[in-house]
Amino acid sequence: MRWIKENALSVAFLVMFLLALAGQAWSGAIHYNEEQLVNGLQPVSVWAYVTSSSFAVDVAENWQSEYLQFLLFIVLTVWLVQKGSPESKKPGEEGPEADHEQLIGEHAEKDSPRWARVRGARLWMYSNSLGLVMGTIFVLSWLAQSVAGLAAYNSERITDLRDPVDWGWYVTSSEFWNRSLQNWQSELLAVLSMVVLSIYLRQRGSPESKPVGAPHHATSVEG
Amino acid sequence: MRSPFAVAALGLALTLTAGCGVDTASPAGAAARFHTAVAAHQDAAACALLTPKTAEKLPDPDETCAQALAALKLGPAGRVTGVEVWGDDALVRMAGDTVFLHRFSDGWRVTAAGCEPRRDLPYDCEVED
Repeated sequence: MRWIKENALSVAFLVMFLLALAGQAWSGAIHYNEEQLVNGLQPVSVWAYVTSSSFAVDVAENWQSEYLQFLLFIVLTVWLVQKGSPESKKPGEEGPEADHEQLIGEHAEKDSPRWARVRGARLWMYSNSLGLVMGTIFVLSWLAQSVAGLAAYNSERITDLRDPVDWGWYVTSSEFWNRSLQNWQSELLAVLSMVVLSIYLRQRGSPESKPVGAPHHATSVEG
Repeated sequence: MRSPFAVAALGLALTLTAGCGVDTASPAGAAARFHTAVAAHQDAAACALLTPKTAEKLPDPDETCAQALAALKLGPAGRVTGVEVWGDDALVRMAGDTVFLHRFSDGWRVTAAGCEPRRDLPYDCEVED
């Protein structure tokens, strides 16, 4: 019970993620089969649908945009600030900050991670590990979107009595960029909303918000 | 926020969609059987290889699928020169035709045949759904 209490946020999001993914698979299969019947084709099982390129491209295009959103948020907030936002550092603190502020090298503390104590490539890698992992997942998701999208797009092209295209053609096509950009714009708007609205609005008790009584101009203050 | 699950799932997605071990022989065989039946004037057998929607759309109200197919006088298709399979859809290039197929639970069926390419437009097919 204690473990669950201490990890409740991760557990809650994991459960919601799995439920949403299962719901997407179930509702997606129903929608897919409605189209199959309209086109005089056979309905498919939920398993056949979740292993299809149609499902894979829908999943991957959302994943890549989410990881891109967090990658940009993590990296840009190193260098860019927003006065009054709890999501930002204070103006004047832009940059990677001094070693003693980051508790690295000789400034590491007793319980600091091992790679924070060493110098060189390992320290650089650990110092940027969050962005590197998020960036890697973004690139892999986008690549998966391109591969699954190509398969789904070519299946549609054959149905429409058109020649299939190759990967190079697809990743420069309006189909691929429309799928990507429609997700990016919504993620970017959501981050913009969070950064700006949190200057003036509060959510009592949330670490994503300033304390209710904090002034609007207070930056880098979390409740 | 390391997520080995996400990486594994993406790897799975890539594997599933990369077309590993695609069976090109089955759609090629179905296209060849269709044209063999047409060339042998076994039009009812050829119609049985069409998708239900294509077979239904082909004849006029006062004729059968076999009669309509015979009247089209599709030319010889020759040998298979190329096959592309994407999901449950396939395109089979033959020396004298391009045949479009869809996978059903009992095998591949022809959705369109007797097709001529048109620049920047869908193929113009004598048999299509």
